[in-house]
Amino acid sequence: MIDGSLLQFFTDPILRAPTIGCILMCISSGLVGVVVFLKKQSLIGEALSHATYPGVILGAMIAGVFEIDSSNDVLITIFVMLGASFTALIGLWCIHFLQHKVKVPSDSALCFVLAAFFGIGLTLASQMQFAFSSLYRQAQIYLYGQAATMIDIHIWVYSILFVCVTIVISLFYKEIRTIAFDREYARSLGINTRTVDHIIYLLIVIALVIGIRSVGVVLMSAMLIAPAVAARQYTHKLYITFILAALFGGVSGFLGNYFSISIGNALAIHFPTHHFALATGPMIVIVASILCLLSLLFAPERGLVIRYLRIAHFRYHCLQENLLKACWRFPEGKTIPFDEISKYQSLSPTYLRFVLASLAWQGWLLKEPAGYRLSPEGRAWSTRIVRLHRLWEVYLVDYLGMGVERVHRSAEEMEHIITPELERELTLLLNDPKRDPHSQPIPKEFE
Amino acid sequence: MTYSNPYTDQSFIGFFYTLLTRLWSLLTGNAVPDTLATDEIQLLVLAGVAISCAILGVFLVFRKMTMLANALSHTILLGIVAAFLWTQSHHLANAFEGVVNETALLVAALAMGLLTTFLTELLSKGFGLQEDASTGVVFTSLFALGVIAVTLLTRDAHIGLEAVMGNVDALQAHDMRLVYITVVINSISLILFYKEFAITTFDPALSRSFGIPNGFYNYLLMVLVSITAIAAFRAVGVLMVLAFFTGPPLTAKLLAKNLSQAICLAALFGIGSALLGVALARHVLTAYGVSLSTGGVCVCAIVLLYLGTLICTKWTMKTFMKSPLSS
Repeated sequence: MIDGSLLQFFTDPILRAPTIGCILMCISSGLVGVVVFLKKQSLIGEALSHATYPGVILGAMIAGVFEIDSSNDVLITIFVMLGASFTALIGLWCIHFLQHKVKVPSDSALCFVLAAFFGIGLTLASQMQFAFSSLYRQAQIYLYGQAATMIDIHIWVYSILFVCVTIVISLFYKEIRTIAFDREYARSLGINTRTVDHIIYLLIVIALVIGIRSVGVVLMSAMLIAPAVAARQYTHKLYITFILAALFGGVSGFLGNYFSISIGNALAIHFPTHHFALATGPMIVIVASILCLLSLLFAPERGLVIRYLRIAHFRYHCLQENLLKACWRFPEGKTIPFDEISKYQSLSPTYLRFVLASLAWQGWLLKEPAGYRLSPEGRAWSTRIVRLHRLWEVYLVDYLGMGVERVHRSAEEMEHIITPELERELTLLLNDPKRDPHSQPIPKEFE
Repeated sequence: MTYSNPYTDQSFIGFFYTLLTRLWSLLTGNAVPDTLATDEIQLLVLAGVAISCAILGVFLVFRKMTMLANALSHTILLGIVAAFLWTQSHHLANAFEGVVNETALLVAALAMGLLTTFLTELLSKGFGLQEDASTGVVFTSLFALGVIAVTLLTRDAHIGLEAVMGNVDALQAHDMRLVYITVVINSISLILFYKEFAITTFDPALSRSFGIPNGFYNYLLMVLVSITAIAAFRAVGVLMVLAFFTGPPLTAKLLAKNLSQAICLAALFGIGSALLGVALARHVLTAYGVSLSTGGVCVCAIVLLYLGTLICTKWTMKTFMKSPLSS
């Protein structure tokens, strides 16, 4: 059925509906997720997605009462979606009521509404299992999501909702941005914060209702969080965050659906007797979480690994400068034996040899049989460091009034940081001093 | 195995009547019932879950940590899978049919409790992510892994559903052991650390100045929560246990004047909703022939008790004190 071509997922009449459906759903939840993430309300999605469950069951039950055939997908989808948004809105109202009227802490209110609605949904579901068992099976799909059974007509319904979400977000982009970052400021600008809040909640509900078909009630909240978190890692600009979140959402929707189908097929070959379909929801969530984790680790600037690498690089740079400075203290042109250098360093000899070798390779030091010697370039660099160190000491004593005995430690750090422009400013400010507070000569600026 | 269930065809009132007469005959020693009826097993398991949850739930609510409990209740699914990979690699399905290895489950709960708390803290402190988002990312991804693992290992998508929703109606007598082990563990921890829990909950700054390690009690509470959740999953599933964690303590909070009162009231409300739930489910089965999920009905009972208490307290406040509860 599948010969590995990804394009086939968009053209094949059976495969294209689930694929496009998943992508649309995940894009819209990614977009809404950014708003929720900025408002620091990520967990409201968790509560509301569970609150849709009784609605799903109710919708299917009403469909059953009207004796709609279980093969009539469009009507059942619409009933289910209406039911789901209805109970999600009731859940939202309950959360607000508990928080503001009864003064329940917000987390308990969320958690209670989540569990209570889910329990009520389950009670309804157990009733339905006997009353309308074929519809019951369709409603249970919404628990973990099942994209594989979607058909083209679903896509039209979801596309309309997706377009609505996109339009609303772009219309209210400015208001959402202002409110997310500074509520008081937004109010002073004359933005009606209550109305915008209501619009945002409506967006959340729509995104949930679109999403539960493919990701499922239980895991839907992940799709509101993971793409937004991943997108936030790359940029400080809001509109780029939106675009990236939509992109990450879409990619995880596509890949999740792809993996669930291909792994399901592979399993069907290995275990022909057990006929089971792998739920789409968990796969999509796993892909989204992996994207999120990778972004947290490797995003340029904000990624953890990148940050640590930058710190490690800076430390190494400092170490190099300190070693050059140590060599500078010996008379010019003299070859310094390794033991003399290592005497004042707390490094392991092997590592010290490695750093020295790399300095020699870069041309700052010259390797000789008896030890190391500063090259002219190395001499210039180390002189500059010493000069910066002593300039900074002068500055601390003369301008900040620090005690002479206390300035050395600060200068040890600043000597690695001061830029040439700062150096020029310091020289001007201090009238190009000749001696530091410890009466040691300050080397001349090197040409 | 066919034995006559004395509760068959009983209505709501009849349920309690039968329960009381059987209790009475047990206490007076007139007739020793040879086996517990299904309804009694359900009742005992649910009451045990309710007591455990009430003890911990009060602290969770006051510490504003219920969402972490929500996270834990999801992630223990992965723990359950791991426990059964470890003990009996080829019969995961047994885990969901009642063959229970308590030690493996408890160790798994312990590990998942620590792992979830640790990962959430890592994301929020190490990566500088806001707390709600880090909780959300961690538990949803671990839960998704759990669901996939269950589906792949049992080759049956249905069992994944059962883990989430629980199945009170499939409980057997040996399920009570794990539930009551956790009741004992929770009660002992409560008695031993009552003061420490109270002070770290209400005044973390003061407790720090006394040299009480707040972090330790955080982790201890989380471990206890995950043990309780894992003991409850066969009965009510990993999601509805949250209703037991939050519902009765919130109800008790409306009435109680101090912490110990709140814990007692929460336990009472929990047991009460278990009773109500089982009786109502039986009544519906008798009167309408519809077999409702008993766990779900219990959650409904919790909600009803909360709403009832809320209305009562508001009403008494308005009539006797002439001041509304809140603006």
